[in-house]
Amino acid sequence: MATAAAQPRKVQSQSTWALAWRRFKKHRLAMTSLVFVILLILMALFAPHIAPYDPTAQPTGADLGAQYFNGPSAQHWLGTDDLGRDVLSRIIYGARISLLVGFTAAIASVLIGTVLGTLAGYFSGKPFRFYLGPLARAEQGWQPALFAGWRVISWGLYYLALYLVADLAWKLSGSDVRAFLGGERSLGNLLSGIGLLVAWGAVAAAAIWGLWGTIRLDLDIVISRVIDFVLTIPTLPLLLVLSALLRDPNVVVGQWAQAAFGESASVFIIIAILVVLGWTGTARLIRGAILSLREQDFTAAAQAMGAGEGRIMFRHLVPNALAPVIVSVTLGVGDAIVTEAALSFLGFGIQPPVATWGNMLSNAQEYIFSAPWLALAPGFMIFVTVLAFNYMGDGLRDALDPRSRL
Amino acid sequence: MFAYTVRRLIQMLPLLFAASIVIYTLLSLQPGDPLDELKRNNPRITAEQLEQLKRAYGLDQPVYVRYFKWLGRAVQGDLGQSRTYGLPAAEYIFGQRLPKTLLLSGLAFILALLVAIPVGIYSAVRQYTLADYVITFVSFLGFSIPIFFLGILLLYFFAVAMPENLRLPTGGVPPYLPSDVGSTVSLGEYIVQWVRHLILPVLALSLIQMAAWTRFMRASLLEVLNQDYVRTARSKGLSERVVIYKHALRNALIPMVTLVGLAIPGVLGGAVITETIFSWPGMGRAIFDALVEKDYNVAMAALALLALLTVLFNLIADLMYAVVDPRIRYN
Repeated sequence: MATAAAQPRKVQSQSTWALAWRRFKKHRLAMTSLVFVILLILMALFAPHIAPYDPTAQPTGADLGAQYFNGPSAQHWLGTDDLGRDVLSRIIYGARISLLVGFTAAIASVLIGTVLGTLAGYFSGKPFRFYLGPLARAEQGWQPALFAGWRVISWGLYYLALYLVADLAWKLSGSDVRAFLGGERSLGNLLSGIGLLVAWGAVAAAAIWGLWGTIRLDLDIVISRVIDFVLTIPTLPLLLVLSALLRDPNVVVGQWAQAAFGESASVFIIIAILVVLGWTGTARLIRGAILSLREQDFTAAAQAMGAGEGRIMFRHLVPNALAPVIVSVTLGVGDAIVTEAALSFLGFGIQPPVATWGNMLSNAQEYIFSAPWLALAPGFMIFVTVLAFNYMGDGLRDALDPRSRL
Repeated sequence: MFAYTVRRLIQMLPLLFAASIVIYTLLSLQPGDPLDELKRNNPRITAEQLEQLKRAYGLDQPVYVRYFKWLGRAVQGDLGQSRTYGLPAAEYIFGQRLPKTLLLSGLAFILALLVAIPVGIYSAVRQYTLADYVITFVSFLGFSIPIFFLGILLLYFFAVAMPENLRLPTGGVPPYLPSDVGSTVSLGEYIVQWVRHLILPVLALSLIQMAAWTRFMRASLLEVLNQDYVRTARSKGLSERVVIYKHALRNALIPMVTLVGLAIPGVLGGAVITETIFSWPGMGRAIFDALVEKDYNVAMAALALLALLTVLFNLIADLMYAVVDPRIRYN
């Protein structure tokens, strides 16, 4: 019986995807894009075998002058750049960086966004007790069981925060207060003194309250505020700031990155930055979907059958919200590729000599008068790749929409 | 509505506070403090003098103390001095940079709207005709093209490849005012110069926005045209014109309002690339330059302003939504 019951379900779930695939195949531009992307991936994987030259090799020999800024020719199909490097080879190697950055950043952002969005949606309106004072009665119910000892750690964090506030108040007003006690009775010094007393009073009150108090936090509110916050900060300027910070070898994080990844450190830094700012879109999408899915009968059925919260979230709810996630991964790859190229174009992204389409284009802008063809190849590649991912996203959206018919 | 607005305005404060903390911290973590340059330019400076300067600039204090002091001055309108330009950062940002960005982005914005809405309507009304296919295809291309590539293409075609007498300037703004000493530029020529300098960056900025909005307008109108009340309007025997412009379009414009409102801060801050390609001395370029030159007071002022604008326009978009759609009530 068990096998008989399992059998039809399996067929059913296969045919959903088969149906989607059949719809997708009808979208001609999306199919063309898929083929293009597959070719691009193959080109990136086998770059060392395909590229006619070393992408960073500069010409040697007697007649150097004749090897810079060559137009397209039989030896160099796309010409040579300002350092005599073969443009075609650089384009082929650049595909590796673009696809690596695009796929890694998009997939990581979507994974993080899915998990946080699911947590926010599922636990919306069910606040956790993040903090329970040492003298508070624990039988009031102590969630979350994040891990053993969280309660003790939360005390430490709470009182550390209070100490920092008290210390900050002293650092801001201390010199004025000392001057006041030393006889300089000006209004400003008096105000500083009053401010200090108020701040310390508040800290003392909070410290006493903390012995018995509890702090409840709705995970949804926390995550939603973080999303709002990430959306508040102007993205591109923030990317510039972060990238300048992380790339610098005089900064600790920059040193770690250099030690771990060597020359390609900037690639991983860019990916990290794109993920930090990129998860919010998916999180919002998923949160909304989960909020409505958790009220449906199948969720109640799963609960009645004794499924744990993790199982309900990730076995029952998330698969039902998967369609927009798949679309957002696809569009996210295109977005990440453009953003990486934009950063590299501004000189804040991946650093030469590593060839990327973005930094090739940036380089080419300087020579727009003397060698305009240099800008064409990298710009065109970025454009077409992004176009392909956008068309694939479009096709997937139609294919995964249960309302659309064959 | 009023209570809602006030509540939203109050909610904005912690958000802006947090954003400014993060931006300030990131900027102060940036390598190299303002004294590095002094040391380079003046090798004979003594360690004692450096120490003194450090105290004078407040650099001997920890980051969070500096932040609160910055915040205290900022709410009084003092955003510090620009080290590169030797004038107050607020004057530099608001007086010199913001107007130029508003000019560029504002024109691009208006142009994009003026084209996108009618073209989107046209395309939706004639769905599945050749014109619709062409518009859909072109707008898909337009919103997929990266702005830096579009900018370079425009630069190449209109500033490099054109015959000499038709070439547009590659960037910047007109150098001389008519009132400058020894200037031979008349007011009319001056205006023409501005227009010529504006054409390419405005085109680059607006084409992409235009493509995105055309797609959105088309989709939004198509969605509405499938509604029952449109069928009712048609079956009442109303002319197609009345059905589309009186019944469908008004509803289709509602989501556009939000989209356009949300795009405004993005246009102001996101013009970094356009302003870089066309050397346009606006806000985006100011942020970029400030980061390169480590002029952190300017960077902080500009980024804080952008964050403020983003939250404000989010609120305005939400409020406009309620204004254009009476079904929505905020309470």
